Amino acid sequence: MKLLIVDDEPPARERLRRLLAEIEDCEVIAEAENGEEALSVCGELKPDVVLLDVRMPGLSGIQVARHIDSLEDPPAVIFTTAYDQYAVDAFETEAVGYLLKPVRKEKLAHALRHAGRISPSRLQKVAESARIEHKREQICARLGEQLRLIPVPDIYFFLADQKYVTVKHKGGENLIDESLKSLAEEFSPDFIRIHRNALVAEKYISAVERTGAGQYVVRMRECGSVLEVSRRHAAELLRRIRGTG
Amino acid sequence: MSANGTAQPSSGPTFFLPDFCGSRAVLAVVLIVELVALVFAIARQALHDNFWTDLATSSLFLLWVGLTCTAVLCRTRGWLHTLPTARAASIAILLLVATVAIVSEVVFQVGRYWNIDADNAAFSIFPRDHAGFLLRNVAVGFIVSALALRYFYINAQHQRSIEMEALARIRALQARIRPHFLFNSMNTIASLTRSNPEQAEQAVEDLADLFRASLNDATTRISLEEEIEIARTHARIEELRLGKRLRVEWDIDQLPLNARVPSLIVQPLLENAVYHGIETLPEGGRIAISGSRVGDALQIEVRNPMAHEAGYGEREGNRMALENIRQRLELAWPGRARVETELENGEFCARLIFPYADSPLLEGSSPYS
Repeated sequence: MKLLIVDDEPPARERLRRLLAEIEDCEVIAEAENGEEALSVCGELKPDVVLLDVRMPGLSGIQVARHIDSLEDPPAVIFTTAYDQYAVDAFETEAVGYLLKPVRKEKLAHALRHAGRISPSRLQKVAESARIEHKREQICARLGEQLRLIPVPDIYFFLADQKYVTVKHKGGENLIDESLKSLAEEFSPDFIRIHRNALVAEKYISAVERTGAGQYVVRMRECGSVLEVSRRHAAELLRRIRGTG
Repeated sequence: MSANGTAQPSSGPTFFLPDFCGSRAVLAVVLIVELVALVFAIARQALHDNFWTDLATSSLFLLWVGLTCTAVLCRTRGWLHTLPTARAASIAILLLVATVAIVSEVVFQVGRYWNIDADNAAFSIFPRDHAGFLLRNVAVGFIVSALALRYFYINAQHQRSIEMEALARIRALQARIRPHFLFNSMNTIASLTRSNPEQAEQAVEDLADLFRASLNDATTRISLEEEIEIARTHARIEELRLGKRLRVEWDIDQLPLNARVPSLIVQPLLENAVYHGIETLPEGGRIAISGSRVGDALQIEVRNPMAHEAGYGEREGNRMALENIRQRLELAWPGRARVETELENGEFCARLIFPYADSPLLEGSSPYS
């Protein structure tokens, strides 16, 4: 079992490493001291399990887990925390694996045997009841072995086709492996669903136009894309645009 | 019937009316009724030949009134609970007075029925004067209900203030040393126990000192020197945990170390600076603690950098700790101490300003210039 330890405190990482050395069939392949580092290691070394501190500077543990889950074949995640009553309650109700620091060896071994992947909806519930920031500030896209972080404020829209979602942003276009539905939930209300397959950033909408056939289209600023609005989403879109305009 | 005799579904803010469905309440009502009956009997002894007969009749009547009122309150308490206090109280009084009136009327009608031919009214235990009987009972009912509700209200207030005080005390204690700090320190010590036993030993000693200080009475006064030492102890533990991410700079040479201060006024500021500042920054930063003396006032300042967008959106603890210090400084020097905070260029600064010389704290402490 290949493990990645993510914690911003050196003694905490050291202790986990030592405990893991005493547990059979465990190999710590890397340590990371913040979320960004953890993500790049995840992309390169593909660990089986990530031990993830909840409270870290920069990206919170929940945000990191959210990114990790968007990877192809994501590793299992076990959260670690010293004290956070809200988070612990949320982990319990959502049956998310967690460990309390200082970690006991038996509990660590037990958690490793039961570690699993955590779905975005469960993570969101945890983050909400724990009052931890969970909206990502970047989206993680894969370019072969490389991971690319796309800042959310730079994103014009998400467009889904059969299997993948295309992100159109200031730096170009990338494919990500996430569902439009969970993206819509996470980035509401800054992003608006205009079609079953399209989610657009409200701030980049330059105009909503009506075509001859009675169909609405959205014209995007900067990138110049024109996207179709489905009948189902038209009313909501117009209400939002008028309301904020 | 209430679903559950004793357990009240909402254990939130206590309602001023006690639960009248339980046997304890019924017993209390019976006792009160008997006392009232006794008062009546004593007061009327001059008018009646037989004290005991009078007491028995009063008791009989008042027990009916009292128990019916208890039943009414038992059934309506749940509904009254949903109303604002003033309205609940007025409605409760109305209900009680109405109950008294109804019971009186029933008793009068029953009396008229029984006494229909036996006209020896002098010995009748039933009243003869209809309107007078009703009016007197309603008046007495009103006064007694008002007094009883007032009593219940004050009793509930008293109960609540005791609970609040206990809660405030616990909060104050928690505000001084955060569980977050405790468990993280424990984790650091667990790690050092094997890798660096000497450091682990020192960390345990430091933690023990900190806890001893935090267990002191909140009003304890200590020398500024001791207070600074507590803060340094705290800083040492945090430095072990955060490594090179934390730097603490002390510039306190100007402070008179013999000044007496309430304990734990600097350490919580340092704790805040780490929790809300350094820990939110991937690269860490520098905490600057400086002290100065302006005339007869002392000023202690703690500065720390802050992340613009912290991953944790929680600032409540910060305010609580600052409020705690503000209260204790106010207690020590009413109107002459203050806590200032400012956020400037991504740097947070908390400043304590309090008097040095001629302070009431000098009483009992060793004299100094």
